Amino acid sequence: MPGFDFTNYNRNAALHAKGVPLPKATSTGTTIVGCIYDKGVVIAADTRATSGPIVADKNCEKLHYIAPKIWCAGAGTAADTEFTTALISSNVELHSLSTGRDPRVITCMTMLKQHLFRYQGHIGAYLVVAGVDPTGTGLYTVHAHGSTDKLPYVTMGSGSLAAMSVFESTWQPDLDRQGAIDICAEAIKAGIFNDLGSGSNVDVCVIEKDQPTQLLRNYMKPNDRPQKERNYRFPRGTTAYLDQRVISKEDMKKYVTIETLSGDDKITTGDSMEVDT
Amino acid sequence: MSNPFDINGGACVAMVGKDCVAIACDLRLGMQSLTISNNFPKIFNYAPSTYLGLTGLATDVNTVSDLFRYKVNMYRLREERDIAPQTLANLVSSSLYEKRFGPYFVSPVIAGINPTTGKPFICGFDSIGCIDFAKDFIVSGTASDQLFGTCEGLWEPDLAPEDLFETISQALLSAVDRDALSGWGAQVYIIEKDKVTQRLLKGRQD
Amino acid sequence: MEVLLGIAGKDFVILAASKAAMRGPTVLKAEDDKTRQLNKHTVMAFSGESGDTVQFAEYIQANAALYSMRNDTELSPSAVANFVRGELARSLRSRSPYTVNLLLGGIDPVTEKPHLYWVDYLASLAPLPYAAHGYAQYYCLSILDKHHHPDCSLEEGLALLTLCTDELKRRLPIDYKGMLVKVVTKDGVREIPVDNDKVVRSA
Repeated sequence: MPGFDFTNYNRNAALHAKGVPLPKATSTGTTIVGCIYDKGVVIAADTRATSGPIVADKNCEKLHYIAPKIWCAGAGTAADTEFTTALISSNVELHSLSTGRDPRVITCMTMLKQHLFRYQGHIGAYLVVAGVDPTGTGLYTVHAHGSTDKLPYVTMGSGSLAAMSVFESTWQPDLDRQGAIDICAEAIKAGIFNDLGSGSNVDVCVIEKDQPTQLLRNYMKPNDRPQKERNYRFPRGTTAYLDQRVISKEDMKKYVTIETLSGDDKITTGDSMEVDT
Repeated sequence: MSNPFDINGGACVAMVGKDCVAIACDLRLGMQSLTISNNFPKIFNYAPSTYLGLTGLATDVNTVSDLFRYKVNMYRLREERDIAPQTLANLVSSSLYEKRFGPYFVSPVIAGINPTTGKPFICGFDSIGCIDFAKDFIVSGTASDQLFGTCEGLWEPDLAPEDLFETISQALLSAVDRDALSGWGAQVYIIEKDKVTQRLLKGRQD
Repeated sequence: MEVLLGIAGKDFVILAASKAAMRGPTVLKAEDDKTRQLNKHTVMAFSGESGDTVQFAEYIQANAALYSMRNDTELSPSAVANFVRGELARSLRSRSPYTVNLLLGGIDPVTEKPHLYWVDYLASLAPLPYAAHGYAQYYCLSILDKHHHPDCSLEEGLALLTLCTDELKRRLPIDYKGMLVKVVTKDGVREIPVDNDKVVRSA
């Protein structure tokens, strides 16, 4: 379990008591949805990240990997959704390694809710968990305080009302794969255009039994910005500078001593390690 | 008492060009409206082509830059290689999220070129470590609203190092001129595969 | 209304601190020393919450002395400044932080170059050519902006200090009981006698 470090807490609590506002975290004022169909489940999300009224990221990723066949869509405090899903992903991996079985969606949902309940809503992660496992298809919502729901179609985030209106008016039982993708994408688009906290593109993830999971990144780009017709490029030399320092690779080596060792046979060398591939 | 992010002032921006990246910051250190120093750089170097910009509360800028100097030095001793910008990004992210309930009041920005792939990389963070991977530009500091505007207007893809310098410099200078808490000169780094150019810009002194 | 001033020149650093120890509107002492010598080439001036100031300064002084004794060498001014900042930043994250503003002046014993550091109670550290704390900032920084140059001699530095203290006498509504002036050169730290009885007429 994570070790949060509270060393700054007292300082910041004292500052907060004097009227200092809490820092503005990047939040995914978001539309996320999920929908099951005959052979699997689809989840989808918009790609806007906001910081107050400012759009911090126009194409962020809100679909998080937990296991090959379990994925999660996150709304709320961006850092919390990112780290909570990463943490549960690690624990799910270790769990399936130790049991020798494929991980289950309900296990994952339970681990998430227990973690979030322990932090009493202070970890602001609002999640849609979806996947297929040996017991069948799973689709759940998990709220920051630890409550969960199990439904055939779900929406979350600030655009949940707009998205839900699409499901409530056009959803029908026995959807096929493309039908589920279409209704999810349409629900996200409702969020993108009718909710200010949501915007940009549609990301979709399709999870089906006996099929590789498909992450359809930027499945739709209804807000693509065309290339500028003219540019504001400045002529070189526009900006005056007072001083310049050029550091070349050669200069960097000057500060490092390189010693070549003699090829003595007694020196044993390990296999070279492959790095940064 | 006011917002800790706005006490000392400062601005930072990073941009991607063609096979190069740039990162720039202003030089002001203030206490509310009083300027203490006009030579307070906010960009720190952690490897030949990995740079970290820090804006926010000055004491935390000092603390966090020192903390990462320690962590990166330990990394270099353990791994016997320089840290890649992507690795530093994950280090910054997890270090900040560790303090989720008592954060450092900083908004970091990373710019660099990956030493093995040679690809440019930039990213930004909020104060609790959420990474913003952008393909174009990252802004932070008290002039971030203004920087969003200037960068959105001036940035274009595949700028050569010389053109990227002009674009990032003009974007920063224009933005800080509309922010009372930032400015008083600027520092720009243009990072290329085997060369880093550091330039000092003169800004308005008001 | 404590006054702290620092000026670095060609081969020296001047630190000046007001001599009044105050509690509210009352002057408790007129010969207070708000400076501590940390090692042969470094001196620190402090202001802030009474009690915290001396406690913190003497804690730093003791640790600097301990380092000098253990290693038979002195910390450079930049090393001392970063140590002081580190300790203040650590205390800031505790339940009862020190409320102390500092100026740290010294000569690097190796390069013989002067260094002046400004540290506030939030543990922000900035190396500066000239610095002030408290109300003195508002009166003196503009004068220093205009007249200071990095190559100035000690005589010019002291003249500059007089310019600042004259302005403080003219504009500060209370009597800060004159200044205690310490100068660091490559030969060490010494106190400079100043004429605190000079009367400055207000406009």
